[in-house]
Amino acid sequence: MIAVTDLTMRYGDALAVDDLTFEVRPGLVTGFLGPNGAGKSTTMRVILGLETPDAGTALVGGRPYVSFRRPMREVGALLDAGAVHGGRTAAMHLRCLARSNDIGRERVGEVLEQVGLAEVAGRRIAGFSLGMRQRLGIAAALLGDPGVLMFDEPVNGLDPEGIRWIRELMRRLAGEGRTVLVSSHLMSEMALTADHLVVIGRGRLVADTAMAELAARFEGDVLVRAAGQEAFAHVLRASGASVREEPGGLSVTGLDASRIGELALRHGVALRELTPRGASLEEAFMELTEDSLEFAAEGSTR
Amino acid sequence: MMAAVAAEWLKLRSLRSNLGLLALSALPVLLCAGIAYMVVRGFDRQTGDDLLRFESLGTGLGTGLPVAYFLMAAAGTLSITSEHATGMIGTSLVAVPRRQVFLFAKIPALAAVTLVIGQLLVFCMHVATMAVVGERAGHVLIDGRTLGLSLADPGVTAELLVAGAAMPLAAMTGLGLGAAIRSAAGTLVTLIVLMFVLPIVAQALPSPMGPRIASYMFENLPAQIASGDGVLAPPVAGALLLAHPVAALTAGAVAIAARGRGVRPLLAGGLPAALLAGTAVVAPGAAASSALSWRPCGESLECASVQVPVDWSKQDGRTVTIQVARLPATGAHRVMGTVLAVPGGPGGDGVEDLRDKGGAFATLRQRFHVVSLAPRNTTDLGVIPFDCLATGPWITLPADRAAYDRVGARNRKYAEECRAADPEYFDHLDSASVARDIDAIRAALGEPRLSLVATSYGGVVATTYARLFPDRVRALYIDGSIDHQADQETRLRHRTAAVEQQFARFVEWCKTATACALNGRDAGAAWRGLVAAADRSPVPVRGSDTAYSGFDFKVAAAPDVISPGPAPDFPNWQRFARSIDRATAGDASGFADLVEQVTKSLKVPSFRGQNVTQCADGLMFADYGEFRRLKALGERLSPNFAGNELWHRLGCVGWPTPVGNPPAPMPADRLPPILGAGTWTDHGDVATAAARVPGSATIRYEGPGHALYLSGNQCVIAHANRYLTYLRLPPAGAACEPLQP
Repeated sequence: MIAVTDLTMRYGDALAVDDLTFEVRPGLVTGFLGPNGAGKSTTMRVILGLETPDAGTALVGGRPYVSFRRPMREVGALLDAGAVHGGRTAAMHLRCLARSNDIGRERVGEVLEQVGLAEVAGRRIAGFSLGMRQRLGIAAALLGDPGVLMFDEPVNGLDPEGIRWIRELMRRLAGEGRTVLVSSHLMSEMALTADHLVVIGRGRLVADTAMAELAARFEGDVLVRAAGQEAFAHVLRASGASVREEPGGLSVTGLDASRIGELALRHGVALRELTPRGASLEEAFMELTEDSLEFAAEGSTR
Repeated sequence: MMAAVAAEWLKLRSLRSNLGLLALSALPVLLCAGIAYMVVRGFDRQTGDDLLRFESLGTGLGTGLPVAYFLMAAAGTLSITSEHATGMIGTSLVAVPRRQVFLFAKIPALAAVTLVIGQLLVFCMHVATMAVVGERAGHVLIDGRTLGLSLADPGVTAELLVAGAAMPLAAMTGLGLGAAIRSAAGTLVTLIVLMFVLPIVAQALPSPMGPRIASYMFENLPAQIASGDGVLAPPVAGALLLAHPVAALTAGAVAIAARGRGVRPLLAGGLPAALLAGTAVVAPGAAASSALSWRPCGESLECASVQVPVDWSKQDGRTVTIQVARLPATGAHRVMGTVLAVPGGPGGDGVEDLRDKGGAFATLRQRFHVVSLAPRNTTDLGVIPFDCLATGPWITLPADRAAYDRVGARNRKYAEECRAADPEYFDHLDSASVARDIDAIRAALGEPRLSLVATSYGGVVATTYARLFPDRVRALYIDGSIDHQADQETRLRHRTAAVEQQFARFVEWCKTATACALNGRDAGAAWRGLVAAADRSPVPVRGSDTAYSGFDFKVAAAPDVISPGPAPDFPNWQRFARSIDRATAGDASGFADLVEQVTKSLKVPSFRGQNVTQCADGLMFADYGEFRRLKALGERLSPNFAGNELWHRLGCVGWPTPVGNPPAPMPADRLPPILGAGTWTDHGDVATAAARVPGSATIRYEGPGHALYLSGNQCVIAHANRYLTYLRLPPAGAACEPLQP
């Protein structure tokens, strides 16, 4: 259980996180979604005590992260797969971390096995691919068998097989009753894994919703092109639909395609096109984070 | 915390790059050996006094030490900056989120490793240097140190241990700076400036500023802690050494906690550093607080004065002002105390000695103030008229009791002439009174103890001081001094043997030297013939009604015989030979002219200015019987100079003042061993004087002359400085050779 309350974080003049409040509940995979630069990583770093917020709190199990004597047994985190010393072997890297949290040495072997790095345990990290480093980071997160897990963009650099593996891992971890927070800038990725979504843009909370609700909210419309379009629009409105004129057609919502077809037949309207259009989650995401994209564009031209 | 500490140990030993750093540790060892090789090569090419002017290699860590400290500091730096460079810091802080705990957890492993390696390294550096230096290590240098030091030397093990113990402190300093600066390059550059650039800059500055600044540098602190022989007192050096890691770690701890960088860590680090350094510098008020008000009175000379009672048994009675002069310590090292130079004579002026011959103390002044005085018996002080003290009766060698009594009567008459000017003062010019004056100076200087450098008759004053104030004597060096306590016969035997040997050298020289007027003849026979003839019939001094007896010739010739002048010409021996030649031909003016130049008298007068002290010090015959016995002994022992040694004592026959300072034993058990130094003619007396305190030692100068330290004999000065500074005595049989011309 992670609770972020009224969190504000500035870097100089730039507002990275702006009065952000959300909770991450156990037993679910919570997607933490937002465009690049939205403040996802900053929020996660605040939760892990790597940054001190200007205001607000970020608690894990009701406590600040830094108050844990053996934090890796409470929270496992993969923030940056590159944050390792290339000179150590995978096993030694994990042993150092395990030792600092009084975690038994046997766990090192177990997690290496679990992430599929057992065979390269004795090799120095400098020679690892990005995917292998991602797995090593995940192994480190799992080391303390923690109840709370956080992964920042875990699929980066993974091959398709790795991506599938990680999805399954997260689902399994959530299934075991753990709290799992996964950040991504790709809605498509979240759509496949997350049960719940926390969407932020420009450091602000945009949506905090179950994945199913979001899908329902962005239900699609139907494109109608017909002869006598204006008259038919009246008919449709009379039947309870909301109609918007588009160039060369009508966007109809509130009635599905088959009902519109029936109405056309009844009123003798010749339909030229009748196309149900499902709004993708991706579009929903774009819509939600419109502001922050503008911000990003501004930022990039600066 | 324990878990974090254990993890950091794992981290430290699991990096191959640290092994590389370990391998680099060979560098300072090689450097030490290399420097030692260069020094030894230079040393082997030098001779004589140039050998004394080498800089000591000390324990041999020298150049290697800063490199070793830098390596250790680099190890400390890399243990934190490598975390920043690789990003590992994020992972580490997630594992150990309390940042100071994370930083400080690095200390135990780092300290343990650098302590073990550092200690080993220090011993290897020492052994490497000394292996190269070899036997030369024992060579005493002008500043009293030896070219090298072995583990057997006192304090060496301690110095090596402290130098090794400072390795973890260097590592901590590197760790703290690394945490504060975060970049390896930035930190290493800072360390290079700290460990190499600043010390080199400091060394380039003129003394004493350069050595003073250098003494604050990290690499120079351990030696100052262990030896106490630095600019800084050991506690000060210790505090400064600790200030380095404390300041750096404080800065690091603030920086790692602070979100940003900037001035905060700098301030946080600077504060304890300034605090520690400040208290360290201000705290030791141990320096002697002098009650004297010094005023400049010559090139680097300062003068002051003290009031002392004329009669020390009546301390609230009449007083006299004693002039004191000081060559202040140069400040290149911590001041260890005051060396008090006791002038000879008696009647010599120590203030003038410092003015004219103070250069002899140049090296000693790195660690000591050198103070001297114009003692109350200084001939030209003016209380008793100079003209009275600077002259005296001519002494004749009495042939019988009646003649002895006539000498006494004449002496008494002459003495009373001077005494009449100020009887109370005249009666208190003994060496014990001078010694008490010196202790008054000591008290005014605020010094708990003095290190005495006594020249010639100053030895009587100094040993009297040692008898009266044994606990005030830190060190006692006597140079060309007589033994106050020696019985008359022993002294006669010494002096006779010395002068006869010296005469034999003259005769030998004359055989080969064409510059000798008696070359080709038997110079010994010529001299004996002259003396015998003169004893039968005195030889006139041309142009006067004065004539020289054999005894007069001996008294006039002795100084030239004893001091032949600089080799290879020996001008005084040449003069002596010419004078013999002339006197044999019937004119004694060769001798008389020389005597007149020095004494304004055609024969050597028995100086009242000396007798006021010598007679009061009891350097006289007990009675006519003793005189006769010693005269007979001299005639047996001394074919060429019989009677000469009685001359001084004959001046005290009939002397009117009481013996204020009779010879008496020193409390040897409360005194440090004495160091003596003497030439061919002085060494015998000096040796018996020094032997009054068990464990004492002497340096024999294998050459003629008198007063070796003040005359600038570098070899003797080196041994004396070693004794005065480190209280280390030369081995038995130590000798200094004259320089080959």
